[in-house]
Amino acid sequence: MRYPTALLVSLIAAVPLAAQSYKAPRTADGKPDLQGIWQVMNTAAVNLEDHIAVLGMPAGRSVIVDPPDGKIPYTPAAAQKQKENFKNRAKADPLNICYIPGVPRVMYLPFPIQIVETPKYVLMASEFAHTLRMVYMNGTKHPDVALFWIGDSRGHWEGETLVVDVANNLPDTWFDRSGNFHSDALHIVERITRTEPDILTYEATLEDPQVFTRPWTIRMLLYRHKEPNFKLLEYECNAYLEDAEKENK
Amino acid sequence: MRKLNTLNLVVASVTAAALMTFAPIPGAGQDKQKGGRGGGKGKGGPPGAEQYGPYYAAPAKAGEPVGRTPDGQPDMQGFWTPRFNQAIFEVQNHPTAQPGIGPGKGAIVDPADGRIPYKPEAAAKAKEMLAKQIYLEPEAHCYVSGVPHAAYQQFGYQIVQPAGYVLFLTEYAHTYRAIPTDGRPHISPNIKLFRGDSVGKWEGGTLVIDTTNQNGKTWFDMAGNFTTPAIHVVERITPVDTNNINYEAVVDDSTIYTQPWKIAGQLGRHPDQNMELMEFACVEGNQDLVHYTEGVGGKAKEKGALRQ
Repeated sequence: MRYPTALLVSLIAAVPLAAQSYKAPRTADGKPDLQGIWQVMNTAAVNLEDHIAVLGMPAGRSVIVDPPDGKIPYTPAAAQKQKENFKNRAKADPLNICYIPGVPRVMYLPFPIQIVETPKYVLMASEFAHTLRMVYMNGTKHPDVALFWIGDSRGHWEGETLVVDVANNLPDTWFDRSGNFHSDALHIVERITRTEPDILTYEATLEDPQVFTRPWTIRMLLYRHKEPNFKLLEYECNAYLEDAEKENK
Repeated sequence: MRKLNTLNLVVASVTAAALMTFAPIPGAGQDKQKGGRGGGKGKGGPPGAEQYGPYYAAPAKAGEPVGRTPDGQPDMQGFWTPRFNQAIFEVQNHPTAQPGIGPGKGAIVDPADGRIPYKPEAAAKAKEMLAKQIYLEPEAHCYVSGVPHAAYQQFGYQIVQPAGYVLFLTEYAHTYRAIPTDGRPHISPNIKLFRGDSVGKWEGGTLVIDTTNQNGKTWFDMAGNFTTPAIHVVERITPVDTNNINYEAVVDDSTIYTQPWKIAGQLGRHPDQNMELMEFACVEGNQDLVHYTEGVGGKAKEKGALRQ
């Protein structure tokens, strides 16, 4: 079901980050300090691939750094399915009915994310529907009990980089508003590095042999919110959806 | 009794839809499937379980002295089970059975009668909601709980204390409260939120959390005890030892109450500190409104409260 780890490692090695010279300050237990409130400044939430603007949505360049053409390496059947998803996106996008966005989508929604660290956990809390990602840092394995909307995240440190292995993903989430999708065989390895004081470089390699012909990698930057007393507010999606449905009756 | 049983199933099914029932859940105990959110007495628990309804947890033994986090906060990190009698069903004493809610004790310690000191018109509104508008119950719509309801939330919660914050991670609906303790002011009163705006500070060994900016769309319980955007809550959370935390909250809203009132309860450390909160996907599997409609005679469909 899954690609050999060695293959995945070699792919990651094939697209190295720019030489890492910045060294992040450390937390009390000596780990790189990624804490703060962060947000992307891109249009990956609209489409991970290159895309022109449509009404209300800006154009944007692909965040896919591998393969080099910036396109998701779908199997022919999956490429067809993606086209259908795109056509039906108004109704079919799980986010439009306020479902939990899944990984990696939650990381590049146009909503801030607060990262906090303790020796046992790295927490990522999104303003979108109070979505919570708990990354376990205690060397434990993925549970074999269930699939989750937000997947199951187990992490470790490799020097400056937080490496998170995400499995147990439910097949019902999308990657963006353009119908890019996966199956329950999705396996993600995220690499998150504080490459400058106020920038996190976020990289994720995604493999899913049922949908993709090969693993592929996205990379983007998250910027620190530096406004004084900035904090997460809330986006209670399902409540607003109910309100909208009542108004439209 | 038939109605009560139907409602019991309501929540069990929500939970089952969320794929949670077979996972370890803090504070829920083994009788969760039987009791669910709207469950009755805590049958099946150890002796004394009925005192706490279905959310049984034995009173925690005295622990060790409270430690400190690296930034000097009293350390409350870990998994906790709230013990607030049957406040989760109704926050005030409720000696007689109501639709979907058995008789029980609430968590109000002031006033001494354990009842919310409503102004007459507010009391009438709460009564009306319980009798005829139970389908409006915010949690049946998967809204996040307000404050202080989040403190006696079902299934317990995990406390995490990174530098400068206290976070409460609740299994129910898989949400969080992130409370800064850096002395910052509240956000503008123009912004109202389900969770409100909370700011915290340590007064000696007590975490004091001041919460304003709530939107008045949450209830204290399942029994129609509603809130307004004028609500102001001050919580005082005091770790006694490594196994016990005392909790109290003063609730003030001069638009609907004749005086401020206070709830009190305890948090007991869960014996399994290696547990993991599981995902409770509320919106994704919600059947509560359907069951409310069929089970307790609600008119959710006609009122447009139901999707589809």
